[in-house]
Amino acid sequence: MDYPIKPTKPGLEESSEEILRIRITLTSKNVKNLEKVCAELIRGAKEKHLRIKGPVRIPTKVLRINTRKSPCGEGTNTWDQFELRIHKRVIDLFSSQQVVKQITSITIEPGVEVEVTIADT
Amino acid sequence: MGRKSKKFIDKKKAATFQLMSRDSADDPGFGDAPGGDRIFVRVDNNPCSVDTLEDDGGGGGGDDDVFADAPGDFDDGEDGAVSASASASGSGLPEHVRREILELGFPDDGYNYLGHLREIRNAGGGSAFYQNPKARLDLVPKDVKAYDASRIQVPKVEGNPHNESIYSVAANSVNVRVQKAVDPEVNALLDDSDLSRFGSDVEDLEEDFVVQANHPEGEDSIVGGNSQCPRMPAAMGSVINGLDTAAGRERQIDNGFPHEIRSRFVERNDKFDDEKPRERRPLDEQFDLLECQEYGSEDDDNDDGYGGYMAEEDESLALKLKQAFDDKVVDDLEIDDKYRVPADLLKDNDVKSKQLQDSAADLIRRCVEYADKYENENDDKEVVIVEESSDESEVWDCESIVSTYSNLDNHPGKIEAPMGARKKKLASTISVALGAANPLISLKGKEKLPVDYLPRGMKSSAEKVKGGSVSRNEQPRRKQHGQESKEEKKERKAAVKEERREARRMKKETKELYRCEAQQAQKVAATTGPSSIPLM
Repeated sequence: MDYPIKPTKPGLEESSEEILRIRITLTSKNVKNLEKVCAELIRGAKEKHLRIKGPVRIPTKVLRINTRKSPCGEGTNTWDQFELRIHKRVIDLFSSQQVVKQITSITIEPGVEVEVTIADT
Repeated sequence: MGRKSKKFIDKKKAATFQLMSRDSADDPGFGDAPGGDRIFVRVDNNPCSVDTLEDDGGGGGGDDDVFADAPGDFDDGEDGAVSASASASGSGLPEHVRREILELGFPDDGYNYLGHLREIRNAGGGSAFYQNPKARLDLVPKDVKAYDASRIQVPKVEGNPHNESIYSVAANSVNVRVQKAVDPEVNALLDDSDLSRFGSDVEDLEEDFVVQANHPEGEDSIVGGNSQCPRMPAAMGSVINGLDTAAGRERQIDNGFPHEIRSRFVERNDKFDDEKPRERRPLDEQFDLLECQEYGSEDDDNDDGYGGYMAEEDESLALKLKQAFDDKVVDDLEIDDKYRVPADLLKDNDVKSKQLQDSAADLIRRCVEYADKYENENDDKEVVIVEESSDESEVWDCESIVSTYSNLDNHPGKIEAPMGARKKKLASTISVALGAANPLISLKGKEKLPVDYLPRGMKSSAEKVKGGSVSRNEQPRRKQHGQESKEEKKERKAAVKEERREARRMKKETKELYRCEAQQAQKVAATTGPSSIPLM
């Protein structure tokens, strides 16, 4: 695990050619930005003619909190239902790592979290 | 549907990266390029090496997952370290950084002030900048620092067209003082470190100002010999001598009295040197007199061989001390470390010094006296002097003084509570009732009152009125209906009116009379009735 120390890369060209399996996971609280980023990624990958699968829409997780509306105990027992929706999209790619870097260097909307998993070969 | 034979990606054998924002401009990879503000940071611990997605300078090893929640921090730490080392070498900041620092108004002294500033942009990590379309930034007044640099002599710099001379000039002008172009009055006030005219005397209090204020001037002052009060050196000199000897004697006398208290007292007195002692006013003397009267006895009792020590700083105390010590010979008491009760000293025959024995005996005697006096004082009653009038003939007592009638004619009654009067009347009524021949109580009159039992005063009038009204009723016999003359009718009506008037008056009087009883009855009814409403 000697990541800080970059060896002089003789095989850089090789690694850039190697096709890697890459999974990009996009998570967000608001759907609009998420779909926008998704669309941009897919568009970028299609321009580079990469094999792409996705976007797979994982079921939305809804985090609910039920609280009494009243700050005291008096009154009719009314309850608030607060919820937080988490949307998740998964995109699978087959490409070299250079390409991935380029793809992901797009304007990222605020609130969208990007996670990239690269398979070990 | 079975499971897929092979997953697309096995997370345990893959490297996972998260896209995080580069937070600071120190990162050399940072730029306004489309991907320049983001960096991939590895967030897993898997033992696979993937040579991808890592930038030149950034993204460390397995530490990142610890900081996964705080995206910018790790970047900052590492990149900050990198840049700090770079900038540690003099003014080795990159040019654009220096330009930016100068633009913001910070001096160009090699320190990177931008590290303390944050760029406003839509970076990750919870900071979002929203453009306010309604912001009128031209209305915001500029933070202008006015400097008057017209007269500055800047040392010359050799003209080197390659270097940008502005920066070398700026570097040379670091040490030049520029006067701020502000109001000279404001400037004067700011520079004025004296501020004596704003201060007050009260602020210059020392810690023991109360003590010093109470300390008077004069020959009784206690000093330790200083030159600030040159007015009375002679008097003070004598006192100095006196006290010095006293102090000297003090050290030798250690007859069990707490030594440290005395030495503390002496120390405190030394502080009186600074202030001149307060003048004695007649009020002071009165106060002293009063004090002696009140507490003087205690002084006498404590004034045994051990010396009377009082906690208050008295101006005469020093004098007393001096005198006390003058009287006593420097004695050479042999005291062991352990304190011994005077009785023990007396009994102990092998005590060397006779003086010690005498003092012990004296002390015991005084203690006995004091105890006796204390005990006996409680038995004495207060002797109150009552003035007697001299003239025997004029004997006035409280009864006769009220009127000039003699007691033979004047029979003042005892003052009683009002209830007493009521009860008497009630008693009289009851006695009448008991003595009545007729066991029936007859209610008579319009108001149906027990006429016989009304109080005497009212009874006669009631009788009169009732009798009058009855007689009046009897006299004008009712004539046949329709055969009354007008005068008779008028008379009849007048009589009826009169009757009613009388009845009303009687009612009112009776009500007044029996009001007290009525209230009593109500009170009784209120208290003895059921006290609470049962809820069940």
